[in-house]
Amino acid sequence: MKFFKYILPAIMLLAACSAPKIDRSKAPAAGPAPAISLGEYSTFKLDNGLSVIVVQNNKLPRVSYRMTLDRAPIFEGSKAGYVSFAGDLMKTGTTNRSKSEIDEAIDFIGGDLNTFSTGISGSSLSKHSDALLEVMSDVLLHPTFPEEELEKARKQALSGLASAKTSADQISANISNAATYGLSHPYGEMQTEKTTNAITRDDVVSYYNAYFRPNIAYLVIVGDVTVEQAKEQANKYFGSWKADQTPRANYATPSNPSGNRVVFVPLKGAVQSVINICHTVELTPGHPDAIAVSVMNNILGGGVFGGRLMQNLREDKAYTYGARSNVSPDRIIGEFSAYASVRNEVTDSSITEFLYEIDLLTRERVADSTLVFIKNFMNGNFARSLENPQTIANFALNTELNGLPKDYYATYLGKLAAVTADDILRVAKKYLKPENLNITVVGNKEEVGEKLSVFAANGKVEYFDMYGQPWSDLMPAPEGVTAQTVINAYFNSIGGMDQMKKLNTLVEVGKMNLGPMALDFTRKFKDNNKMLMVVEMGGQVFMRQALDGERGSSSQMGQTENVEGDELAGLKKEADLMYLNRPDQYGLTPVLKGIGSIDDQPVYVLDLMKGGALKSTEYFSVESGRRLRSSESVDTPQGAMEIVVDYSNFKTTNGYTFPANIKQLVGPQVIEIVIDEMQINKRLTDSDFKVD
Amino acid sequence: MRYLGLIAFTLVAFVIQTNAQRKIDFVEYDLKNGLHVILHEDHSTPIVAVTVMYHVGSKNENPERTGMAHFFEHLLFEGSENIGRGEFSRYIENAGGVLNANTSNDRTFYYELLPSNQLELGLWLESERMMHAKVELEGIETQREVVKEEKRQRMDNQPYGMLLAETMSHAYTEHPYKWTTIGSMEHLNAAKEAEFQQFYRTFYVPNNAILSIAGDFNIEDTKKLIDAYFSEIPKGTFAIPRPTVVEPTKTAEVRDTVWGKDQLPLVVQAYHIPAEGDDDYYAVSMLNKLLSDGGSSRLNKSVVDEKQLAIFAGAFSFGMEDPGLTLTFSMANMGVDPSELETAVNEEVDRVKNELITEKELQKLKNQIESEFVGGNASVAGIAESLANYRMYFGDTNLINTEIDKYLAVTAEDIRAAARKYYTPENRVVLYFMFDENAANGN
Repeated sequence: MKFFKYILPAIMLLAACSAPKIDRSKAPAAGPAPAISLGEYSTFKLDNGLSVIVVQNNKLPRVSYRMTLDRAPIFEGSKAGYVSFAGDLMKTGTTNRSKSEIDEAIDFIGGDLNTFSTGISGSSLSKHSDALLEVMSDVLLHPTFPEEELEKARKQALSGLASAKTSADQISANISNAATYGLSHPYGEMQTEKTTNAITRDDVVSYYNAYFRPNIAYLVIVGDVTVEQAKEQANKYFGSWKADQTPRANYATPSNPSGNRVVFVPLKGAVQSVINICHTVELTPGHPDAIAVSVMNNILGGGVFGGRLMQNLREDKAYTYGARSNVSPDRIIGEFSAYASVRNEVTDSSITEFLYEIDLLTRERVADSTLVFIKNFMNGNFARSLENPQTIANFALNTELNGLPKDYYATYLGKLAAVTADDILRVAKKYLKPENLNITVVGNKEEVGEKLSVFAANGKVEYFDMYGQPWSDLMPAPEGVTAQTVINAYFNSIGGMDQMKKLNTLVEVGKMNLGPMALDFTRKFKDNNKMLMVVEMGGQVFMRQALDGERGSSSQMGQTENVEGDELAGLKKEADLMYLNRPDQYGLTPVLKGIGSIDDQPVYVLDLMKGGALKSTEYFSVESGRRLRSSESVDTPQGAMEIVVDYSNFKTTNGYTFPANIKQLVGPQVIEIVIDEMQINKRLTDSDFKVD
Repeated sequence: MRYLGLIAFTLVAFVIQTNAQRKIDFVEYDLKNGLHVILHEDHSTPIVAVTVMYHVGSKNENPERTGMAHFFEHLLFEGSENIGRGEFSRYIENAGGVLNANTSNDRTFYYELLPSNQLELGLWLESERMMHAKVELEGIETQREVVKEEKRQRMDNQPYGMLLAETMSHAYTEHPYKWTTIGSMEHLNAAKEAEFQQFYRTFYVPNNAILSIAGDFNIEDTKKLIDAYFSEIPKGTFAIPRPTVVEPTKTAEVRDTVWGKDQLPLVVQAYHIPAEGDDDYYAVSMLNKLLSDGGSSRLNKSVVDEKQLAIFAGAFSFGMEDPGLTLTFSMANMGVDPSELETAVNEEVDRVKNELITEKELQKLKNQIESEFVGGNASVAGIAESLANYRMYFGDTNLINTEIDKYLAVTAEDIRAAARKYYTPENRVVLYFMFDENAANGN
């Protein structure tokens, strides 16, 4: 035996030395591809129309039951939230059990039971499956929707809405849906405090009665159960469920914006922007293009780390922890989205990269190596997903729900292999809309907001609150302050209403600074209905605008045209130094919005509305009453533009106080007027105002 | 006494009979360089999980260089002498696999989930990572920014994102659990290249790692491959720093308020508990289950449902290698005073201290545990990780099959004793997370 004792370590040593030498310089070759086999499933239907899908898998002694209603989406409108309440409340009481009895029964077997607006699900060890189904069936068939449980749910929902106010991710999910589908579409509407408070028990009960019917339901059973047992259980626990007609609804297809728009929800103190770029896609599940679209999406930014968005925005630029995209086909209307959370200062750069990558797919054929890489990845995904027996059940359910060919999933890998680079280019051109995007961002308004205007076709960032309503960061005005008191204070700041009535003519003489040029500027007002503005350079008239009380004209560099329509009306309003005292004469209604700030100075914000539309917004100092700013949106050949006029350096002449500095901003263009001299009630003749 | 003995006997019999957990078979051994290998064969699906767990987490960090372990996790996807920058993930995804990693206070875990014919690719990549990972300056700079974004996304820009960091920094004064795994960005900025090299040579050595593989493969063939890829990696020569500091026993309650922009008050109570694996740890876990697992649990039933004080109330433990924490965690309903909520939570804990739980309630907890354990080993990736965990923390891989018995052995008296021993005011930190106008305005 001694011999062995010595020789054994020697052999082991030899074995260790003779370990096969490997070549580390390159990746080892793969072995022969393993066969991928899809598991089996069975289907049957109960007399009441309930469809049942069974996947037997005895690896673990547990079983799950999931029942899903196949119903059209519902637009909930002013009571948004009642559908999900109905789902939540089902398990809070039945004709046989109180909420705590239901909870006790499920917890005691270590199982779980969930109810939701489109169904119910439960799971447990297989030895407890009858105990589980007993409760599940009771909850499904005999819910009582107790009033006090509704109130509890309402309180929870209102608290939940309050806590969601700081969740950038949550707000982003809501606002991107609202932007993509619109607030009046089931996929875009939002539950708010108001809609939550409007929900009644009747809403909940009638939803349950209308939609929880076996003829639109699919029960999926997966796990340690035979088909025979499943049949017995389905009949025993769900056989008495009564069938009935269920309502169907149709919705107008939401349209994508005609040009890219930027939708921004301000979130105070945000250190990142949550970007979600999206648009609707008309693509149904199982559509012949669906697999090619899925490959296209993976190239861009599906689950794969090697996707273009991840590689560009994370691995190359380090803008984000992760950037991805998604295309979800849908029977009503599908969606494309691309998203990432990025730090404030690179938000605009990140959007530029997103747009580049989306656009690139629609212009350039992908390299074959890219296509092979993505297809390999998707192949592996499919194979790995089969580890979970729920996958086969999902395949079966999708096949039923979407009317897919029976062999859709069995032949999936073949269809994936057949996708070509030309297919990708074709579907990218067909389904991606790089010029009709909703670019939604939740983030820091001060640091990020306006930088994004360059991405909007109309040059404007649209600001919304978390519920998709136009955004306002104004404080409410104190009690007693109205549009009229603000206007009165404004006239007082000039010199008082009585003084204003005595102001017959006003002449302003100064300079207009236009870029590097300084031009001579003169403006004259008379009788609140005549106005003249002349801009000259070295004695030569550069621009002249006149209003003679009735007609108006405008000349620039010798070219003259009549001023008419809206423009003429605007000119008349401008000529009337007291128009704010008689806004109705101009069809305007002043509306006090609240208190905002300009350069840390509190200002009253007053909207002038015309026929329900916003005409302009005026800002008055809370302290002095003076008007500090006026902003107006005007249509130009380049689209709508915002004109902002800032007033400062107020000077008093003969008891009248007017701004001596008027700065006008149109986009990047700044025009500054500096008044050197003001002449009050100087004698002017009507001929001074003659139109050209 | 005879009567009592009989009850104990029937309970034990019941336990044995009802334990429906599937047994996980495995083999394990050490390579000469100290690498511990665990293999579990399962041919149900043609996939394989290749994982490596390194026994280094944030608690092994130099206090002047917090965040290093997690940052290193990012860097170790950069490449090696034979793998170019960015190719690591490319190889795996091109083979139809997925990969990722994560870092905790105690360990760093890397995994690939591959089609079973690509097992060798996983071994090649993991051995390259262990043998001669290569990190270029460009990669360091890029990943530094990526980690900063990770921190912003997970903490700074998340509701209550500082909850964990605040809890740990209040609960620990001495032990390195006091800092977060993501660490300090200033520390990461200050780290020099030589420090990275030293960190790698110290911790990323075979004698500090477990290679755990589960799935569709043949054990004997795989042993040969493992030998070929890993046995040439030299054993580490540096002593591996493990914190020996023991957190001093708390003698007085620590109480603080954290002001932030989140609207609903949130109450956290953190109690010090023994390390994972201690008998008391299991008693505390069962106590938490009693308090917050399922709709019928004490906190859900009383605080959330009946009193409607909270939108959510829970209790759970951070099982860690060194003595960790158990938490109650509750978010107040709108308009509810946090102290009222805290009182309601305390009442439920006091009830456990004063009244033994019923036999039926104990049985419920055991049934929940059993259900959890049965479901726990459903994927090969999960099995590979669990095997490595049990080996790394307890030196007993077979706990994957037997740990359930430790839970099932907990008695009603044990639960009451755990509540009395650990859920005491002087052993806890209480934090209120409250809304503050200034914070909400971003100041």
